Amino acid sequence: MLGFLTARQAGLDDPLRLRRAESTRRVLSLKLNPDRDVDRIHGNGINTIDIEAIEGRYMLSGGADGVIVVYDLENYSGKLQYTFLLHPLETVQWYPYDTGMFVSSSFDKTMKVWDTETLKPAEVFQFEGNVYSHHLSPIARKHSLIAVGTKEPKIQLCDLKSGSRIHVLQGHRAEVLSVRWSPRYEHILATASADSKVKVWDVRRASGSLFTLDQHNGDKSKASSEAVNTAHDGRVNGLCFTGDGLYLLTTGTDDRMRLWNSATGENTLVNYGKVCNESRKRLQFTVSRGCSPEFVFVPCGSSVAVYGLHTGELVTMLRGHYNNVDCCEFHPDYQELYSGGKDCNILAWVPVIRASDVEEETKSANQVQVLITGNKIWKSLIRKNCGIN
Amino acid sequence: MNRKRALISDTFKVKKRRYGTQKFGAVSDGDGPTDIRATLEYLMTLFPRRLFNDTLPQIVLKHQLYSIHNDKTLVDKELNKLRERGELLMFQLGFDADTFGLVFASDYKAKVLAGEEGRATRATVEKFLQKLPSPCTDLSFTKDKMLREFLFTDSEITQLVKSGVLTVRDAGSWWLSIPNSGKFTKYFIQGRKAVLGMVKKSKYSEVLKAELEERRTTSHVKFHMKYHIHDIVGAELVESIPTTSGILLRFVEP
Repeated sequence: MLGFLTARQAGLDDPLRLRRAESTRRVLSLKLNPDRDVDRIHGNGINTIDIEAIEGRYMLSGGADGVIVVYDLENYSGKLQYTFLLHPLETVQWYPYDTGMFVSSSFDKTMKVWDTETLKPAEVFQFEGNVYSHHLSPIARKHSLIAVGTKEPKIQLCDLKSGSRIHVLQGHRAEVLSVRWSPRYEHILATASADSKVKVWDVRRASGSLFTLDQHNGDKSKASSEAVNTAHDGRVNGLCFTGDGLYLLTTGTDDRMRLWNSATGENTLVNYGKVCNESRKRLQFTVSRGCSPEFVFVPCGSSVAVYGLHTGELVTMLRGHYNNVDCCEFHPDYQELYSGGKDCNILAWVPVIRASDVEEETKSANQVQVLITGNKIWKSLIRKNCGIN
Repeated sequence: MNRKRALISDTFKVKKRRYGTQKFGAVSDGDGPTDIRATLEYLMTLFPRRLFNDTLPQIVLKHQLYSIHNDKTLVDKELNKLRERGELLMFQLGFDADTFGLVFASDYKAKVLAGEEGRATRATVEKFLQKLPSPCTDLSFTKDKMLREFLFTDSEITQLVKSGVLTVRDAGSWWLSIPNSGKFTKYFIQGRKAVLGMVKKSKYSEVLKAELEERRTTSHVKFHMKYHIHDIVGAELVESIPTTSGILLRFVEP
């Protein structure tokens, strides 16, 4: 570590290198937060979590009891909460550009756009089937479309500016379980469906999808003929782009996770082994950002499995939940992981670099405070240094 | 099981070399193509040849290699290299979409021809084996391919299916297969079930690997115990946990 610092000081190393090395070290030492818990507010399981991208301060969580809670991550308390319907929420997402607005969709076949100040729905979109997933593009400048995946095989695109449903993407044959915009190109959308297929679309095109992901890379001899052109051998229920948008990860009920090159649709054939997946709905998993070998955090039963992205090896299992984990979200600035599950808890996993020894526990709690503030000071130091250069 | 030492990334690892440390429950690291081949050969020795009266070539399953080497992606890559070199053939065994059997190409050809001695279909089978592209990466063949590339007639295809070299996949396409492998599949599945049952019935559904190897096997288990253990560990039907007394196998609920 000191070697990295000296090299950075002397200008031998790029500042990014120190930042990545430290981020990776922090991710590898993720443990359950020993000091504070996220307040338990939900009465039923938690289906979805989203952390806003601007400051990384506020977190939304949607529960199976129909409650949306807004958390302030600096204080870990649930500040605002709003009960609004009786149906379980499936997806919540902050508006990517400011925290004045967020969008939620649920099994009552509606998608609502909420104003955070007044906590009233500014817009309601009605659909014919249960809404499994929706996503707003995090980088879009030219459009403000929300892609919605419902029980229907058609994917709807709703426009925030006009408030109407303007576009329908046809191509899937069964319910669409997950939709995701690419973080690299604002017009590229990936969708996953229960018919085992994953399609990548360019929304500007009038005709169908750009390509369908094929797990055998076109090698027709490998599979039985029904399985041709499928991404998985079962329902595909999880989609995640890596931070730079170059790779796409998919998980399916065949207990496999696959890594795809998002430009060509080629299966990179990284073997993660058996990734237990029994979810009937969307599985929310996430990839780390800013680390040197990136990590994938996948909910696996009642724990969260951490895999190396390109090697496929299981790094560790984060155990702490009492029941199935449904969703997890990575906070890139602090290298923290938040996971929510059926046991109504949101657990925060923080990097514990230096655990306190037995002798130190007798000293006052000030020591622990110093450690925590020490990490924050370190973080702001890194930010300042990287911001200048 | 909790790790007492925290994980550190490679960039932070101390470069001190330790001499003479005994790693308990260690698995050998595979690096370089020769190691995969050596592992394959070791696993082939576990295959019971006399059980089938030497009519079958030695078959190893792809996931058995995962139980020996940690990096699955590397194993996959090396196997593909061996297949492209024409030394190894991969087969869809039929009982699971993900299970693949591996046979050395020379072994396969020798055994198939030996099995065809004195039969009417011998000539066709010989022709098929010769026509098979040397680095054969296909697992199945469609009717188009058979008729056009290999120039086989319909009756010859029927003869190939009869001899067991091709198995029906669906209308108009066939899997490449090993003749007389039905017995192998039957004994294998029986044996796997029996070994899994042994692990499951143990106290806490876990048993030390060394102890399992010592146990007396029922008549259902016809293969070597180690063959089955590599299979269930590689297929992730049991969890392999390193302990101070050796490797522990714990049954995984599906």
